[in-house]
Amino acid sequence: MADEAAVPAGALGTFGRYAGPATLILSSLADGAKHGYALTKDILSFAGMRLAPGTLYEALTRLEAQGLIEPLPSEDRRRPYQLTPAGAAALQAHLRAQRQIAEVGLRRLAGHWGTA
Amino acid sequence: MTAQARAARLLRWYPRGWRDRYGAEFTELLIADLADQPRSWRRAADVARAGLLARLSRAGLGGQPLGPADQVTASLACLGGALAVFLAFGTMVWSQLVIGWQWAPPGSRATTVAVLVMSAALGLFLILATLAAAPVGWYLARAAARPGAGRLARPGTLATFSAAVLIIGGRHVQNGWPGTGGHAWPHQGLVPGGAAAFGWAATLWISSYWAHPAALLALPAAQIAWMAVTPAALAGLAAGLIMIVRRLGLPARVLQYQARLGAVATAVMGAFLTGAACWVLAGGPGPENLFRPGAIDVLALVMMALALAASGQALRRAWPAAQP
Repeated sequence: MADEAAVPAGALGTFGRYAGPATLILSSLADGAKHGYALTKDILSFAGMRLAPGTLYEALTRLEAQGLIEPLPSEDRRRPYQLTPAGAAALQAHLRAQRQIAEVGLRRLAGHWGTA
Repeated sequence: MTAQARAARLLRWYPRGWRDRYGAEFTELLIADLADQPRSWRRAADVARAGLLARLSRAGLGGQPLGPADQVTASLACLGGALAVFLAFGTMVWSQLVIGWQWAPPGSRATTVAVLVMSAALGLFLILATLAAAPVGWYLARAAARPGAGRLARPGTLATFSAAVLIIGGRHVQNGWPGTGGHAWPHQGLVPGGAAAFGWAATLWISSYWAHPAALLALPAAQIAWMAVTPAALAGLAAGLIMIVRRLGLPARVLQYQARLGAVATAVMGAFLTGAACWVLAGGPGPENLFRPGAIDVLALVMMALALAASGQALRRAWPAAQP
């Protein structure tokens, strides 16, 4: 079935267990640059999940190394990060793939359980 | 303790390079997080885990991949450190066996094969070390003749001093104990008596005496001092050589060549460990109990297995990055 074809992993597919935090960070940066604490607060507000500092910076360093985000000049000692065009494209591809998975799951749930 | 001090303490989990780049901003995040949640073991555990992973990454062993050249250099340096640990424990096992062989050949086939395999492996290590040192020596000579050679002075001094302590001290100690070859029959051994005796002297510190302080203190003071100095000298030699290689900035083709040698060295480590395990598990004591394995030999097997695992992991990280 064409609509259930395998979903390409995209750039974030190489992140392994960091894909979750990376998706949250990129989604948070999608509406503008933020520093570490602002990212934590924003992610808590839209995902209900508090990223611990070590996990947050693990993902930030990986995203920066892959060119998906970039640092801006420091504000005091806080350094904001912003999405790069490559990061925006990677996030879009990843979220589309996730949406495709979600749609398949919801459709199957509706077909067999009637709960979707 | 202030939030600043607590954040600074947490930051120490990370390696220096990481702290230089992210330390200030990470400290700010930690201070804000400490204000939100003054007590959190989850935060402490998370920072410790992430910091250790960052250290593993810098060491070329895991975590986030580095740039290709940095990855190969870091992983090869780690492989070199693991090889140094392996050789220390391996030489301890091997030297007692070849010294025993000088007195009487092993009584069991398993011990005979094990000693032959370990001796051949050590010979291969020597060849590999020569092959690895040749290009490094060439680039070292070139770097020493150019401006900026001062960065090599400290590791060079450390390696030279440590090697001098090992060689001079080892030669002195090896000649002070007749059991290592000072008897009438060193010629009937498997390897030259001097090589076996030096191996014994250089690894005298790997000893179960450390677990028996009363027995340890009964040894001559000079011997105890030598047992304390040797591991520091070995560590200094390994650290000095690793720092030299890291600071030389070897070109990609040389790193690729060294990665190939590292792969062969890892395979030879496996062969040596198989031989040592064969002796410990199936060898038996032999004539006059010359080849009886002890608890320290089991510990040596464990240490060699860990060093081999670290070496394999370093190689897995270095190999893809070394490919053109």
